[in-house]
Amino acid sequence: MSIQVEGTIERKGFGTGTWALVSSSETYELHKAPADLQKAGIKVKISGQIREDVMTIAMIGPVLEVASFELVD
Amino acid sequence: MKKLLLVVLFLVGLGWALTTFPGLAVEGSYNSIILDFREDVGAAQIESQIEAIAKTYSASPRYNSEFSLADHIFIMPGDKKLLDTLKSSDLRKYTEFIEPDYIYRTYAVPNDPEYGKQWNLRSINVEPAWDQTKGKGITVAVIDTGISQVPDLLDTNFVGGYDFVNDRTNVRDDNGHGTHVAGTIAQATNNKFGVAGIAYEANLMPLKVLSAEGGGTVADIAEAIRFAADQKADVINMSLGGGGESQLMKEAIDYAHSKGVVIVAAAGNAGRNAAEYPARYPHVIGVSALDSAGSKAPYSNYGAGIDISAPGGLINGEDKTGGILQNTLNPQTGESVFEAFQGTSMAAPHVSGVVALIKAAGVTNPDEIEEVIKQSALVVQEDNLNHFGAGKLDAAAAVKLAAQGKISFQDFFRWLRDNGYLNPRFWIDGGVISLGPKLAMVLGSYLLAWLLKIYFPFAWTWSLSSGLVMGSTGIFFLRGVYLFDAPQWPFRLMGSSLAEMGSAVQLSSGLNPFFASVLIPLGLVLLLLGHRTWKGFAIGSAIGMAVFLAIAAITTPTLMWIGDGIPASLFLAANAFLCLGLARLVVKPEGRIA
Repeated sequence: MSIQVEGTIERKGFGTGTWALVSSSETYELHKAPADLQKAGIKVKISGQIREDVMTIAMIGPVLEVASFELVD
Repeated sequence: MKKLLLVVLFLVGLGWALTTFPGLAVEGSYNSIILDFREDVGAAQIESQIEAIAKTYSASPRYNSEFSLADHIFIMPGDKKLLDTLKSSDLRKYTEFIEPDYIYRTYAVPNDPEYGKQWNLRSINVEPAWDQTKGKGITVAVIDTGISQVPDLLDTNFVGGYDFVNDRTNVRDDNGHGTHVAGTIAQATNNKFGVAGIAYEANLMPLKVLSAEGGGTVADIAEAIRFAADQKADVINMSLGGGGESQLMKEAIDYAHSKGVVIVAAAGNAGRNAAEYPARYPHVIGVSALDSAGSKAPYSNYGAGIDISAPGGLINGEDKTGGILQNTLNPQTGESVFEAFQGTSMAAPHVSGVVALIKAAGVTNPDEIEEVIKQSALVVQEDNLNHFGAGKLDAAAAVKLAAQGKISFQDFFRWLRDNGYLNPRFWIDGGVISLGPKLAMVLGSYLLAWLLKIYFPFAWTWSLSSGLVMGSTGIFFLRGVYLFDAPQWPFRLMGSSLAEMGSAVQLSSGLNPFFASVLIPLGLVLLLLGHRTWKGFAIGSAIGMAVFLAIAAITTPTLMWIGDGIPASLFLAANAFLCLGLARLVVKPEGRIA
């Protein structure tokens, strides 16, 4: 499933830590987050795929594989 | 006369109903009795009492120790019979209390220097369990990011595993998660180093399905489950979750279950109602997480799919003392570190470790093992949202129950689920309903209606029967029904009796006194008295409500705004009699209804 979501990047403390996109309605776990995206607090719009076939150690919400992103203010 | 007879019959029915209510917990053993004389009783008086006891019961009380002089505490040999005799004797006047001197045993504490920081192991009561078994001969497969043999895993037994991510037999951990999880299950213990693990004589089977980033595909995980089953693992731990329903995964789980493997999975960390896959599949024990105070950790999923709770820890900023401490590795440097993590990932291996202990204690059937885990759990009262499943994991009670070897299946709902009457979109929380009192209420109300019928003949109609059920219990099994990913309150409301409806939606622990009273039956009678068919419903509801209120008055007298204790009991009992009186009043004038 291909989607576009806007939200804030957060670091979630499960295991050794996971990058998350927190939107107004849902928390997404970022899959294969590029290095530029790995900054807590930045507001971004991410385009990507929801990976129904992926399981993770963080289990914080739907797994969002990042295709591209842009900063928003 | 008839009135008296009715009241007597009512009480007989009620008494019978209550005898089916489970009694108080079994108490510990003792062979001596403690006497604590009041502070204001003089030494001479105490001495004369002691002499009198010695003479009458041919047993001499003595000071427990020199420190008990000031407190006037004596102990004397004696059993339950003597205790009861003493309690009802004159001695009562001179004492603050007379009670059993319960025997406490101490257990060997492991010599691992950091064991004191493992609040989680003490909270699952693991030390007494180690007296029985440490999991020798049992193999636990850890389907995770791999396991590296960090220093505190060097003395742990390993069997061959596989790395499904890189397709090789070396199952090195490049994340740190799998090694941590493995540590909770079987960290080398009593080795004068680091921390302890739960089933530390069990074997670990490392299966890597998650990459360094912490994610992996359903296809790899399903393959790892089959691998574990074929390689004779006894337990599979999956501290992972997410994604959608997968037939491949479901079949792999059923395959492993059919081979006798117990499968444990984390509930998920999204803080929402419903466990993630794979925890929500049938034959998987779904585990929610507790913090160090024993509350549900805020991140932990709850509700549908949660079978039991176990420590998952809660880290508060830089303060990591509330986390779960194990030996793992720093993924950047590969160095060994002792690190505290939090998550349902940490809760699941506690259950897997205890499953290994149960199996080592002699229970081999996976369904029986799940039953032992659930029946031995520390029950949490007032768990209406199913935060805790069957309760909090208790290793000592589980091993004790396993050693007794008699496991009875009580969970009718699980049978339904396992036999395909329910699918992963539904989930039933059998634990939310205490079946005994509910059955007592239904049977009690039928008995009462039957007795009433003998003296005031009336026709038995389906509307009377529905009234009896709605008044006494409601369609109570609906209370435990969950639809995955949907709100649960509509089921709670539909599963409530008339008296419970006033508090079903907002989940108050007490009954709403406007609903739990004669008001509803009275309203129904006034409304339906003239109706041929529905009049029976009104009468049935009055009788059913009488039984419900009477049983509530004795077992759980808690009302909103009024509180619990005697006022609540009196209110409920008075309304029970009013309901009974109402039923009788309506039945009498014509002598026949419907």
